[in-house]
Amino acid sequence: MTPFEIGLLFSGLLVVLVLIGVRVAFAAALIGLFGLITIQAQRLGFDKGLLVAIKLAGTIPHSKSTTYALSLIPTFILIGYLAYYAGLTKSLFEAAKRWVGWLPGGLGVATVFATAGFAAVSGASVATSAVFARIAIPEMLKVGYDKAFAAGVVAAGGTLASLIPPSAILVIYAIIVEQSVGQLLLAGFLPGAVSALIYAGIVIGLAKWRKDLGPPVGGFTWRQRFESLPGAMPIFAVVAIIIYCIYFGWGTPTEAGALGAFVVLVMAVWKGMRWGELKGALMESAKLTVMIFTIIWGVLLYVRFLGFAGLPETFAEWIAGLDQPRIVTLLMILAAYAILGMFMDAIGMLLLTLPVVYPAVIALGYDPIWFGIIVVKMAELCLITPPIGLNCFVVAGVRPDISVQDVFKGASPFFIADVLTVAVLIAFPEIVLWLPNKIAGG
Amino acid sequence: ATTWNASLWGKRRAFTEHMEKLSELVAQKSNGEFQIKLHYGAALSKNRENLDGISIGAFEMAQFCAGYHRDKNPTITVLELPFLGVTTLEQEIKLSNAVYSHPATQKDLARWNAKLLMPSPMPQYNVAGTGAAPTSLADFDGMRIRATGGIGQAFKTVGAVPTSVTSSEAYNALESGVVDSVAFAPHAHLAFRTVDIAKWWTTNLNPGTVNCPIVANIDSFEALSDENKEILMSSIPEALDHYLAKYGEVYDKWGPVLEENGVQKIDFPQAEIDAFRESAATPAREAWIKDMEAKGVPAQELYDLVVKTLNE
Amino acid sequence: MASTTVRTDDSLLSKADRQIFRVESTLNLMAGLVVFTLMILAVAQIVGRKVFNLPIPGFIDWVEQFMVVFAFLGVAYCQRLGGHIRMDILIGRVRGRPLWLAEVVGVLLMMIAVGALVYGSYLHFERALTIGDSTIDIALPTWPAKLMVPVALGLLWLRLLVQLIGYGRAFINGEEIPIAVPMIEDAAAVAKREAEEAMGLSLDELEGRGKDPDGGDKDKGARS
Ligand code: NA
Ligand code: NA
Repeated sequence: MTPFEIGLLFSGLLVVLVLIGVRVAFAAALIGLFGLITIQAQRLGFDKGLLVAIKLAGTIPHSKSTTYALSLIPTFILIGYLAYYAGLTKSLFEAAKRWVGWLPGGLGVATVFATAGFAAVSGASVATSAVFARIAIPEMLKVGYDKAFAAGVVAAGGTLASLIPPSAILVIYAIIVEQSVGQLLLAGFLPGAVSALIYAGIVIGLAKWRKDLGPPVGGFTWRQRFESLPGAMPIFAVVAIIIYCIYFGWGTPTEAGALGAFVVLVMAVWKGMRWGELKGALMESAKLTVMIFTIIWGVLLYVRFLGFAGLPETFAEWIAGLDQPRIVTLLMILAAYAILGMFMDAIGMLLLTLPVVYPAVIALGYDPIWFGIIVVKMAELCLITPPIGLNCFVVAGVRPDISVQDVFKGASPFFIADVLTVAVLIAFPEIVLWLPNKIAGG
Repeated sequence: ATTWNASLWGKRRAFTEHMEKLSELVAQKSNGEFQIKLHYGAALSKNRENLDGISIGAFEMAQFCAGYHRDKNPTITVLELPFLGVTTLEQEIKLSNAVYSHPATQKDLARWNAKLLMPSPMPQYNVAGTGAAPTSLADFDGMRIRATGGIGQAFKTVGAVPTSVTSSEAYNALESGVVDSVAFAPHAHLAFRTVDIAKWWTTNLNPGTVNCPIVANIDSFEALSDENKEILMSSIPEALDHYLAKYGEVYDKWGPVLEENGVQKIDFPQAEIDAFRESAATPAREAWIKDMEAKGVPAQELYDLVVKTLNE
Repeated sequence: MASTTVRTDDSLLSKADRQIFRVESTLNLMAGLVVFTLMILAVAQIVGRKVFNLPIPGFIDWVEQFMVVFAFLGVAYCQRLGGHIRMDILIGRVRGRPLWLAEVVGVLLMMIAVGALVYGSYLHFERALTIGDSTIDIALPTWPAKLMVPVALGLLWLRLLVQLIGYGRAFINGEEIPIAVPMIEDAAAVAKREAEEAMGLSLDELEGRGKDPDGGDKDKGARS
């Protein structure tokens, strides 16, 4: 067998292992190890090849995990917990309600904007949905919102957290494809905002079309509106600090993220967070962090094997050589992601596919930063699609009175919104690239 | 047929052109019987682990830079001492070859099962910065500079503040003012776009550079037929000539880029450079020799070899 | 803190499980504390540089050396609580013996990978220690960080051994709920737990409802 064939065969085996429930990080590590053994054994004979492969594999966990840019990931995870303790979620929703509640589907629009705001301090989509399921859904139901609709808005709004920085998944993408973490984080801002606006548009449109979905809530005076702002201010303060910090030379993007987390920590302590809660937050952050690092090095072990097998280059050459417009190829890749996303976790899906897909997309001439935002948007899409859209399960889990089927139903219009967003980003790549180019000079 | 894999990082660029040429020549001279396959993008190993990969026998050839891990290759770091007085790539090649063929160096690298084949000569570092251009050494006092290892230490002796920033964050750090200046080899200034925002640029400080050899796995080399060994070794000079030509093209682009970006070129008077060299080079050298002798490296001998070769 | 269901009893296996869990928890807390310290250090770095023009020398080198703590030390803890992600779309549909068999196979495969990596990463450490290796900027030795990897993976291997016995016993005896292994949960329960963990506390507590300390009531929803 040629190394390329070995690469294909073992990649197929990896899919089998993942399907039968072997934990993704270790399935990838095992396949990477076996693949390296096979390739090295062909070169050097079995005994020597086995030893070379094991030694080679043994360098990867340390080598791949101690990359400076990855040091941001645990900080981004921690910041989400801290924001919750700092009481930022409730005050955000309250402010959004007073300002945009008068619109058709006003509380839904408020939910979208509040989740977008919370996204600026939260790196995790699932957590965002969970928090707002408890804050926003009761208020919506109180004024007569349709259950499925209310739940769907929350499930979809949560996905904004991965696009709007800080975002763990954007950092992971940057590491895998060796692009600037800072640029990717900056690139997420505007698409996140566009995505939120499209969500809000869908909510307003639906509420106008079917009056029973969600009535407006009016009657807030300007005074009440302005009174709601100080509570939500910290979010804007954190965003401002991060951008100011980068723009005016206080720190690199890496350091700015840590500073943002620190500011939220101070707020959380001020609001009464104590050692018990902090310890809980640290334990959970550490657990989530090690899970992410394990899957990173596990998958990179598999990627190292692919490198020896020469699979990514060959696939990229094949894709680039296809006799069809590149947009058709891109759309096929995105469709594949949409289908894969139905069955896979977002981070796992990106890690497993990017090593092969990314070189191909770049060979087509697409921009690496732009593709990062597109592919993360695709990965977020899978959080609201059946059968295992995690955000929908979270919402249903928090609200026992709403069935998972209802949440999926309520979230389905946002699937269309996401397709629309991706189309907009494909048509106007400047939305993604303007801010990183502006700040990092193109 | 014999196929070697070579581990490289980054894209194909002037810095890897000798490998491209070597691969081409070897295949040509052996009628395709001996192939060197180049793997870019750190597909086989991260650059800091290339020596580990050679030692393991995971691939047969690799490129690395001594400064990435001084303790892996203490002998070669003599070539990275600040202010050796190197000005051209040809000198860099001559010095590297002299040090590479010293028995102590070969013994050092043999610990990794590595045989030194040829250098990837790098131009001297230049400092590019924003803010007021330094006209004398005193102007470096308090300046935050992105410079690692020995070059960072050298600038510290004139009062500059070496600051940790990754190379990919260098642009951002310089633009925002996290650092005031960045020390890179010219091609890195191009690659990381620091020239796009720098206001000034030092032309003749020649503070030093990194040394980046190409090595082969000793066992693999010994296993080559005599004919292939000869083909490989005899192709090296031509590969290096090709490298120099390609680097020349980078230099041709260089002047216009600086011009276009309105970067002011700073020539330091010889007296200032001598003073800098005096304050930085001597302590750095003495510390290095003391440190290395403690590790059993014939440091004085290696340093004398460098000086002698340079004066030849 | 939310935890996945792990059944305990008086058996030797369960005792071993809990002893190891104590070590795992301590290491995981260390990882959390390093994350916290890193955040504080980054702020100190910004302030030091901006206000006093005194950046922390070799900041990146230090961070890279300490990252290994949160990248690895919690790896066994995470496995104990079933935290490493997997796809249970198929495995979530079987119960009893077939399920325990699948788990045994999965754990065995993990043990092969982890065992090989313990050896390989030990050799990686050994090279750094005996031949020498140091960081780019301030030449910190890298062997202590490299040593963390085989240590953490060794502990994970022990944890896997406990789980192998747990699942193996369940398979042989046809147990309904095995000892010392995380229970498989359906997607709804996983989602709910993740949401809880995302906030470091239980949603049930917030809703003012009681919480089963072993989380045994979470098995509801899609699968039933
Ligand atoms: Na976010
Ligand atoms: Na899904």
